[in-house]
Amino acid sequence: SGAAWARGLLSWARPERWLASGSFFPLSCIHTSTSLQKIGKWEKKNRIVYPPQLPGEPRRPAEIYHCRREIKYSSDKMWYLAKLIKGMSIDQALAQLEFSDKKGAKVIKEVLLEAQEMAVRKHNVEFKSNLHIAESQTGRGRYVKRVRCHGKGMFGIMKISRCHYFVKLVEGPPPPPEPPRTGFDQAKEYVQQLRNRTLVHTL
Amino acid sequence: VLVLVRSPLPRLRALLQRCWGQLERGLWPGVLGGQSPSWALAVQGPALVPQGINDAGESSTEAPSLLESILWMAAPKQRRTIEVNRCRRRHPTKLVEMKRNIDVCPECGNLKQKHVLCGYCYAKVKEETRLIRMEIHKKEGGPFNAPTVETVVLYEGEKPTEKDEGKRIIERARKRPSWFVQN
Repeated sequence: SGAAWARGLLSWARPERWLASGSFFPLSCIHTSTSLQKIGKWEKKNRIVYPPQLPGEPRRPAEIYHCRREIKYSSDKMWYLAKLIKGMSIDQALAQLEFSDKKGAKVIKEVLLEAQEMAVRKHNVEFKSNLHIAESQTGRGRYVKRVRCHGKGMFGIMKISRCHYFVKLVEGPPPPPEPPRTGFDQAKEYVQQLRNRTLVHTL
Repeated sequence: VLVLVRSPLPRLRALLQRCWGQLERGLWPGVLGGQSPSWALAVQGPALVPQGINDAGESSTEAPSLLESILWMAAPKQRRTIEVNRCRRRHPTKLVEMKRNIDVCPECGNLKQKHVLCGYCYAKVKEETRLIRMEIHKKEGGPFNAPTVETVVLYEGEKPTEKDEGKRIIERARKRPSWFVQN
């Protein structure tokens, strides 16, 4: 564990972070990784541009990706709130989060409100209530290990954890929830599997 | 006699090391039930003889001490796999339940729980109460000056009625709020 700790300490000292902000190339328009750290994959998803739709195609619903990084909360605990919200309409999600006692609820509510505003201003969404949450995920942020003092001179190592929260809003009413699998469905699938059996390696 | 104990807790490990050292030095005659420790040095002399007598005397009557029973503590045998951990952490009883008692406040339109006062309306009332209390404080001037009569709050353009004869009057320089009903 000492080796892992040392590796963790050294990982923040990546040499690319310490390069001068001006790159060595004469063209200053090349983006290096030193500017703004690194733009995450989730943030880049908002930049994709689809080709114009043909007249006969059904309208593609608007998708808005938003996230917040390095929230001072545990990703496991945040996951419960993310699971609660998945698949709800945005109004319902905001209502649930407002009356939840968890610390992460306040953060997620802010993120959802920001995303809603982004949707109306930039992503051509007509009604701000006409959004539902297609995906909501948590990710692990950077951890820091610290000493926690116990009695009799003993100490433990605690980790101060942070998390990221990702949300994808899609225009339109929320999809109807899937009906739970009954025994009858399972029996039907089993019978279908039996019927699908064929003879292999034959004429 | 080989007793192998590996415990992850540093405190327990230190304690066990101390106990083991004491055992080796022969400071616990009663632990091994009187068997002569095979690893002990063959020391000749009268020093060990009284210990031997104590051995024979105590071994039959001494119950297994607490320190002996430490070697049989419950400990996990196998690492719990992430699949097993997920089944436990994501069990429906552990998930956060959806609340079904959220309504809309008829006064201000914000959300409120059914059995709780609306937060926005309560904050409004609290702010107005704070301003009324500031007026009272200005009128009284200091602590322990509260009069023995009732208090009436009057807003702009209101006159005290016959019912407010002997009462203390607090003036507020604003229009009466709609939710503060006059008697």
